Amino acid sequence: MRIRVLDPTVGEATVTASAAAGLQSLAGCTVGLLDNGKLNVRQLLDHVEEILRARHGVTVVVRLKKPDASRPAPAAVLAEMTECDAVISAVGD
Amino acid sequence: MLNSRNTAGSRRIYTGVRALANWGWPVRLPAVQGREAFLYTRLRFLVVWQVSRLNGVKREETEMTLVQHALQSAVYELADALDANELYQQRGWTDGLPIVPPTEEHVRKCLNAAGLAPGDIVGVESVRQRPITAEKVAINAVMAGCLPAYLPVVVAALQAVCEEDFNLHGSTASTGGSAQFIVVNGPVRTAIGMNATHGVFGNGNRANATIGRAVRLVLINVLGCIPGQLDRSTLGHAGKFTFCIAEDEEDSPWPGLAQERGVPSGTSGVTVLACEAPRQVMNEWTHDPEEILETFAAEMRHNMLTYSIWPGNYALVLPKQLRELMVAAGWQKRDIREYLYRSARVYRRDWAAVGKGNIVARGGGPDQEFTALRSPDDLLVVAAGGPAGGFGAVIPPWLGSRSRAVTRAIAGAEEKGEQ
Repeated sequence: MRIRVLDPTVGEATVTASAAAGLQSLAGCTVGLLDNGKLNVRQLLDHVEEILRARHGVTVVVRLKKPDASRPAPAAVLAEMTECDAVISAVGD
Repeated sequence: MLNSRNTAGSRRIYTGVRALANWGWPVRLPAVQGREAFLYTRLRFLVVWQVSRLNGVKREETEMTLVQHALQSAVYELADALDANELYQQRGWTDGLPIVPPTEEHVRKCLNAAGLAPGDIVGVESVRQRPITAEKVAINAVMAGCLPAYLPVVVAALQAVCEEDFNLHGSTASTGGSAQFIVVNGPVRTAIGMNATHGVFGNGNRANATIGRAVRLVLINVLGCIPGQLDRSTLGHAGKFTFCIAEDEEDSPWPGLAQERGVPSGTSGVTVLACEAPRQVMNEWTHDPEEILETFAAEMRHNMLTYSIWPGNYALVLPKQLRELMVAAGWQKRDIREYLYRSARVYRRDWAAVGKGNIVARGGGPDQEFTALRSPDDLLVVAAGGPAGGFGAVIPPWLGSRSRAVTRAIAGAEEKGEQ
């Protein structure tokens, strides 16, 4: 006798977001730098900020920080990110 | 003749309704929605229609149609159970061990035992917004080898890990490689035959083994916690197959863990902790509670230095031999928690002795003090283990208080215990 069994998995979640258009240049842009809260990420982002300003003409850098690396960024931080032309999310350790 | 036909028809309808109730359909009306609500309406129409006709129309066909529509999962037809296992292995739908084929019949029994409709949402993983439906829980529980009577415990454990405090996404995705330590209290333990004594962390008990495994299979199959994919554990540990125990309430004068954490006495409860592997300790050389607890404190301090410094929910598992010494000296669980809160502390300078001298000068400097527990209440004291041996365990948290232990009452466990 054949056996009928049920699928234990779920399909992929529906993607409702779409990717933003890529920037042609960073000159004059506002760039957010998101610190994920882990050790050493601040030093890493300091260096990234220097490069962005010196080599790419970024005029405004917004430094953002997640209070907890293992949880999503709080709503207020996400709201700040929406004001940026680009955001770099950095993982320290 | 007419009366006879009516009686026969009524009996058939009654049997049909009984059968539907046994499937758990539609026991919980508020949860029925969408397509199921439509089907439920259709079912009511059919029942009313049959009652009005009382002529013995084939009830079985109506019932089968309803069942097939109510479950949303794809169905695979295979030659036998071995082929089913091979399919699930090939698709990565297991923890690597063989599975029990989840047939509709068995899944229905599990849903019924939990008092849930297939579409009921047991919990939602909040970061990725992934709902966990009762149907998928039941399927994975059957695969894990659960009996239907275990489902209320599985459901309560999943509800607990979905609470915000538990931080399910962070704790399951982390390189830290945690598992869910599940402690069951109350009448359901004995009703479903859980083990709280010999080899309590080990093999040998179906309920212990399969309840923990069911939770793991749900994480794998519903939330995508697959090693190397969403699960980024560097090592993980054996508790990721299953890590579920009962507390030995019969052989302990202390209140159970769930009762200490707010579940009423006489009500079953489950506590979940995102944890690292248990660290076994032994002290059979004293009758002094403080000396016994110093052995546990040393292991907690060791964990703080070698694994993670951050304070959070540690679990302490005390076997009968050590418990009796504590009890004889008049110690309660509260006394144990307070002692270890005071004793399980290290200084930043202590890191120099374990190869972490590079971070001694950071933060508050060499004399900065750290506690293993944020307060005495952070310690989960559990009575469990075989009757002989001074072996206990310290179970460290995954990452301090980034995930906090959660306790929940188990709904409907007592009524289902004898199934």
